[in-house]
Amino acid sequence: MTLSLFDQFLSPVVCWIPLVAIAIILPWILFPSPTTRWLNNRSLTSQNWFLSQATSQIFSPINPPGHKWALLLSSLLIFLATMNTAGLLPYTFTPTSQLSINMGLAGALWMGVVILGMRTQPTHSLGHLLPEGAPALLTPILVIIETISLFIRPIALGVRLTANLTAGHLLIQLTSTATLAMLTIMPVTAIFTGILLFLLALLEAAVALIQAYVFVLLLSLYLQENV
Amino acid sequence: MLSRLQAISVKVTDPFVSLSLVQASRSLQTSSQRLAPVPPLPDHGGKVRHGLIPEELFEFLYPKTGVTGPYMLGTGLIVYLLSKELYVINHETIYAICIGTIIVYGVKKYGATVAAFIDSINEEKVAKAQAAKDSHISFLTEAIENEKKEQWRVEGRGMLFDAKRNNVAMLLETNYRERQHMVTNEVKRRLDYQIALQHLNRRLQQEHMINWVEKNVISSITPQQEKESIAKCIADLKVLAKTTQAKAAA
Repeated sequence: MTLSLFDQFLSPVVCWIPLVAIAIILPWILFPSPTTRWLNNRSLTSQNWFLSQATSQIFSPINPPGHKWALLLSSLLIFLATMNTAGLLPYTFTPTSQLSINMGLAGALWMGVVILGMRTQPTHSLGHLLPEGAPALLTPILVIIETISLFIRPIALGVRLTANLTAGHLLIQLTSTATLAMLTIMPVTAIFTGILLFLLALLEAAVALIQAYVFVLLLSLYLQENV
Repeated sequence: MLSRLQAISVKVTDPFVSLSLVQASRSLQTSSQRLAPVPPLPDHGGKVRHGLIPEELFEFLYPKTGVTGPYMLGTGLIVYLLSKELYVINHETIYAICIGTIIVYGVKKYGATVAAFIDSINEEKVAKAQAAKDSHISFLTEAIENEKKEQWRVEGRGMLFDAKRNNVAMLLETNYRERQHMVTNEVKRRLDYQIALQHLNRRLQQEHMINWVEKNVISSITPQQEKESIAKCIADLKVLAKTTQAKAAA
């Protein structure tokens, strides 16, 4: 079957049965749940180690009331990292390259954090609209700017992830198309494009993990402000 | 669970059939029937060839097709898919080769290191528990040694008491002998005093007697007698002198 450049971004459907649910549930089956054993096998040990390291690092600067979010944010991290890296394999569909999923996650979580802040400590949350150490003259402008930046946050979170992944996947598609097209005509150029493809694939692997971490880190920062 | 469903559905008609159905489906129940003791984990995972294909496929095909069987199967499948264009070579193929190379290289280069690191996490856990157990065992062994030493010391206590008893007996003996000595000395002193007294008495008596006798004798010597005795003495002396002169001349 011939693929166009944007086939990978179509929600996968087989005989009109949407597979996007399976694509989203995939990370769940890849990670075994902890057992009652004292010593586990390598995959479970590494999973536990990684989760404990990541959670302790993300949650160490947050006040104790914010530690209730540990389960949500750590599972979000695993979810995004797995979906991003699984999308690096050929012929896969990356759910996080869709704006719908990312905006759903970002908008809901951001709003949760802001409402939590406004309900439990409204003065402190509103105080973030004026950065410390600013000259008194600039106060009105700064408040407007900070409000705009506050409301831009969910859009920025969602679009950042979508754009990074979509752009990366698209670049890979373009480069590999170029390599294939030139393989018969200009093999030497194809080799150079192939090297570029290698580097791009490495970059995409890094970006996949970094973007997931950045998403969760920014949410933890917003939580730190508000909790 | 399905066996239970079967059992319930057939229970109404024939209990014998339902029981036999349960027994027949027992062979399908492969997980362990007891929760404890927990079955041990195998040391190594299932063997795979080329990192992807389980060894069981090769063993399954070996009796009929020998060693090259699975490889021929794989090659044939790939060639079939390509030639019939069931799999079309497109840009994703190039990307697949690329990412496949990266993944294989990554696993080959860093696989052992990561596995060793994960094993070290488990080993640290075991080592901590082992260290706690070892320290406890050594502490208890030391306690046993100390207890045995104390018991040996207690045995020696008897000897100590005997020695002390001997000491005390010797002191008492010495003290008794000293007192006895003192008593003897005192008695002797008193007796000596009495003897000295008696000696003194005797001597005084003697001296007194001698003095009385002398006094009497001297008072009884008349002057006539005194002259006669002196003349006799002079005559005796002359005679003596003559005899000695004669002896000397001879």
